[in-house]
Order: sequence, then C-alpha cells, then structure tokens
Amino acid sequence: MKRYLLRWETALLAMLVAEFAIFGMINPRFLNLSNLLYSTSDFAQIGIVALPLTIVIIAGGIDVSFASAVGLCAIVFGIANFFGMPLPVSILASLAAGAAAGLFNATVIHVSRIQPLVVTLGSLYLFGGAATVLSGVVGASGYEGIGNFPDAFTAFAYFELGGLPAPFLVLLVEAAILFVVLHYSRFGRSVFMCGLSEHAARYSGLPIKTIQTITYVMTGVFAAIAGLVLSSYFGSARVDLGTATLLPAITAAVLGGASIYGGQGSIIGTLLATLVIGYLQQGLQMSGVPSQISSALSGALLVVAVALRHGSAVLADFVAARIMAMNRKRAAS
Amino acid sequence: MLDFFARNRVATLCAVTILAFLLIGAVAPGYLSLSTASVVMSNSLVLMSVALGTMLVILTRNIDVSSGSVLGLSAVVLGMMLNDGHSLGLAIAACLLTGAVAGLINGLLVTMLNVPSIIATLGTLGLFRGVMLILTGGNWIEELPLSLKALADNGAVGFSVLTVIVIASLIVVGLFVRQTRFGRYFYAVGDNREAARHLGIPVKLVQIAAFVAAGVLAAIAGMIFAAQIGFIPNQAGNGLELKAIAANVLGGVSLLGGSGTVPGIFVGVIFLTSIDSALVFLKIPAFWNDFIAGAVLLLVLLLDGRVRMAVDRAIRAKRYAVHHHTNPDQPTASSPETMSKPRTQEAGE
Repeated sequence: MKRYLLRWETALLAMLVAEFAIFGMINPRFLNLSNLLYSTSDFAQIGIVALPLTIVIIAGGIDVSFASAVGLCAIVFGIANFFGMPLPVSILASLAAGAAAGLFNATVIHVSRIQPLVVTLGSLYLFGGAATVLSGVVGASGYEGIGNFPDAFTAFAYFELGGLPAPFLVLLVEAAILFVVLHYSRFGRSVFMCGLSEHAARYSGLPIKTIQTITYVMTGVFAAIAGLVLSSYFGSARVDLGTATLLPAITAAVLGGASIYGGQGSIIGTLLATLVIGYLQQGLQMSGVPSQISSALSGALLVVAVALRHGSAVLADFVAARIMAMNRKRAAS
Repeated sequence: MLDFFARNRVATLCAVTILAFLLIGAVAPGYLSLSTASVVMSNSLVLMSVALGTMLVILTRNIDVSSGSVLGLSAVVLGMMLNDGHSLGLAIAACLLTGAVAGLINGLLVTMLNVPSIIATLGTLGLFRGVMLILTGGNWIEELPLSLKALADNGAVGFSVLTVIVIASLIVVGLFVRQTRFGRYFYAVGDNREAARHLGIPVKLVQIAAFVAAGVLAAIAGMIFAAQIGFIPNQAGNGLELKAIAANVLGGVSLLGGSGTVPGIFVGVIFLTSIDSALVFLKIPAFWNDFIAGAVLLLVLLLDGRVRMAVDRAIRAKRYAVHHHTNPDQPTASSPETMSKPRTQEAGE
C-alpha cells in the first residue's frame, strides 16, 4: 500500500483531483462529464507527443524538433491530398515523413556525436523551414493552411466511441501501447538501461544506437499522428500546428516524473501530467480567468511541482543524513 | 593550417561567414556595402545581447530558455514606466532591475532547490510571459515616447547608441570572463562543478551570478527591442531563447559547460542575422529563412563534430608516436595540449 501511496503518480492524481474539486466549486459546469471529455480535444495532442518524448528522455536523449515535425507531417499530408492521392496513401506519406524526421535526428546525433538538444534544436528550424517551403510549393504561401480534405478525414476528429472523442481515444490507445512497450518489454528495460548508464548498457551488449534511434523514430511517427489529428480537428494543415505543443509537452514529460538526465520516467505519469496541464488551462478558462493569467499559472505550477519534487528529495536526503548521524552517535556512545 | 581551423571553431565560422558574404556579393552586387553591414549590425543587437547572457549561463553548465520572456517582461516594464510619465533613466533602471530579479529567481530555483536548469527556466518562461501579459492586460504597448526611439537612431558615424551599448557589454563580459578571478570561476564551475567546490569556489554564487547577468542582458535586449520597433507586442521575444542557444552553439560554446568565448558569440550572431539580409538580396522568399538557418546550423555542427574527432585521433596518434621514440623532452612539451583536450574527447565519446 505504502509502495503505491509514495509514488509520484499518486501525487499527480491528487493534483488532478484537487484541480477538479477547486474548479468544480468555482464553476459547477466544469464537472459536467461531456465537458470534461470534450475539452480533451483541445489538449490531446500535447499528450500524443509527450508520451514518446518521455521514452526519448528516459533513454538519455531529448527531442525538441517534434514541435515542427507536427507541422511538417501535417503539410506532407496536405500536399499528398492536394495532388489527389487517396486518403490512406496520404496518411502513410505523413507517417513516413514523421519516421524519416526521427531517423534524421537520430542519424545526425550519432554521426556528429553532439548533444541531442543541440541537434534537435537545429532540426526544429530545419523541419519548420521545410514545412514552410513545402506549403509554398502548393501555393499556400507563408503561413496559410492547406485545406479541402475529404469529409471522412475531417469527420474523424469529431467521431466518438463509447462517448470518448477520437483525439482522446488516440491518446489512450497510444498510452496503453507505450505503457506495455516501456514497462513490460525487453526493449523498455533496455531504454531505462541506456538512460541510467550508457557505458553499462554498452558493456552489457545492448545495441544503444538502435535503441535510441527507435525512440527518436517513435517520436517522429507520433508527431505525425498528432499532426493528422490536429489537421482533422481544424480542417486544415498548417505549418505552425505543433508550435504550441513544444513547451507543454516537455512540461508534461518532466512533470510526469521523467528525469532530464535519463533513466527515470513513466508513461502513466506523463499521461496524468498531460491531464493536469490540460485541465488546468480548461478550468482556468471556465472560471473566467483571462488566458494571460492562466499561462502564468501553468508556468508557476511547473516550477512549484518540480521544486517540490526536487525539494522533497533534498529534504529526504537531509533527514536520512541526520538519522544516520544520530545512529552513529548512539552507536559511539 | 587545417589543425588550426579544426581547433578553433570561431576561426572556422569567421572564414565561412566571410566566404558566404563574398559569394553573395558576387551574385548580388551591392550587397557588400557599409549600409548592409550597418543593417546587419543593428538587426543583430537584440539577439547579440540575449546570446551573450545565455553564454554566461551555459559556461556554468546550466541553460537558460526563459530569456525570451525576460526580454518581453522587462520591455513591458520599460514601456509602462515611460508611458506613465517617468523619466527615461528611471524607466531603464526599472527595466534592468526586472531582468535582474527574473534572473535571480532562475538562479535560486536552480541552486537552492536543485531543479535542473532546463526545467526551471522552462517553467519561468511561461511564468514571466504570463506576468507580462497580466501587466499589459493582453494589450500591446504603443506610442512609446520619442526619447526612447531616439536611442535607435544612427548617429553621424553610422551606428546608434544601442550599438555602442551592446559592443560595450560584449567587451565588458569578454574582459570579465577572461581577465578577472570571478570570471574564471564561470569556466571552472562549468568544467567540473565538484572540483570547483573542493577548490573553494562559491559554486552556487557563481551560478546565481550567471543567471542574474543573463537576466540583465535580456533586459538590455528588451530595451533595444522597444527602442528599435517603437512598440511592444505581446509576443515580444518569443522564440528568441532558442535562437540565442543556436547562436551559442554556432559560436563554439559547449553546452557541456566550461568552454566558449565572446568573439564566438559575436560571429555566431552576425552569421545568423546575415542570413536574413542575404535572402533579401538574393531575392529568395523569406519563408526559406528557417530552413536555411537550420540546415547551416546542422551542417556546421556535423562538420565540426567530424573534424574534431579526426583531429583528436591525429593528436593522439602523434602523442603515442612521441612516446614510442622515448624522447625525454617531447612529452612535457605536449602536455599542455593533452591538458586542454579531455573536454572534446568527452564530447566525442
């Protein structure tokens, strides 16, 4: 019992419940079930990219380029659609673009052996620029969107199964798959091993490059999925679709318990953190708080939550040291 | 010769920049003129100031991604003070103070609460932007007084007061990190924090100082922004933090801390900014901008990484060859070289 109570995920769950309680008191309509479910469509994409990002971070890397990969993949889909490709082909093209983006990142990181943050920072610009250039090709110059999708595609974001809207459903299915992959598979264990100690992983014969490459490709593919979901939701593919997910997604991964130094993190944590962040924005909006204050509050939440986590670790170390010192004194006397 | 370029990223970048300028000049006559240089210079001032502050933080093996929001916040403080009728000097002082306080918050989070710097500053990125929006109520700040805008006017010699300020801060910071004891601490802390602590260096104080300096420099950038643009939009400084980090990387500042120079920052920023003006001259649509910036950044990194690895191998081979011949003088002569190499070897692992 204690084992579960002291987990970080429990703290996140408590945060979520507290959010529901507070916003429910301020505005009872917030707790309306259909509102709770439908507002997920506004932030599901954050979770869709944050989950694979968590795995990248656990494996000891980081990827900031997913934010523009989302736009790039959406544009690829839009262009394929523009040239009259059938829907499945367009979707496949978009997913392939995502995988290629991830592969590109991983290759550059391994060939240049430079920190992933720097490399993906470069590709953040590169992918964003490529998307802008591509959208210029089909005449949607600058930052206009590419539209005119088949009805079946635009209907997808508004489709629901058992009351769950499609974007949220995508997120849940993804979380289930990645949960099994990360926590119950050989690959998942090696991801943790890579992040904990790359040397140890290398000497135990793990194919580190392959493992890290897979994590980046996964991020690319899920960035493409996020791009598709967003294009379907908005009815147009735009270059800047993913820009707004950059910071919230990293926040979600970190708030969810992923250590930026690698080797630590969980899918459930990131999923819960996504909900905490998403509902915080929604709840503040419904309580009549202007959007500018809500962005300050969510920044403050991240700082406070992470400070609490690290502060409590520092405190625990301190207490443990004191207890040990006391024991030593007692033993000496 | 090759050895020199491989060791010295600033020289490489300088050569590439000059080559690029010459090529563009050959294609688009009229590009190589003093007026272009003056435009590039004045366009690069904001980024230069932010990147300089970011360098100080990166030197201590931290990172600051909140500088864009600090820029916005301090610019808003400046604008509101001016529009409330306060004097220019007082408003600028308040603006710089805002930056310092913002940096102090970052520094305290990182040193006292042990929050990893990327997380702490990611949080304050949102926090400061939010505070800025609360202050303005979501409105743009317009109609800034002429006294502020006059700062951006080019004087008789073709550069403005702002240019002088930025150049001065470059020189001050450059001398500070090279010549003063406390400045050298920045490198020591970034290179090996534990060793620095055992040497008695006030590690936490140094890190806090780096964050505060970064905040003040971001505030200076905010002032430049307000003076040049003449109004302060809500998204002032958005995304600038990433550009500043990119300029740092281009300029040879290692994100692993402990290495980097001010001239590197200068060349890196000029290079990034001159891409913009070159596109205009080559009549390439502006939407190629990010693509080219990203491609160049990655290309430089890739080449640099590979060349550096090759040079490391060559140096190691030379060193072993020396030992092989058992010449008593040679190993001591080559030891400073070996002393300066572990960092790049670590990066090359």
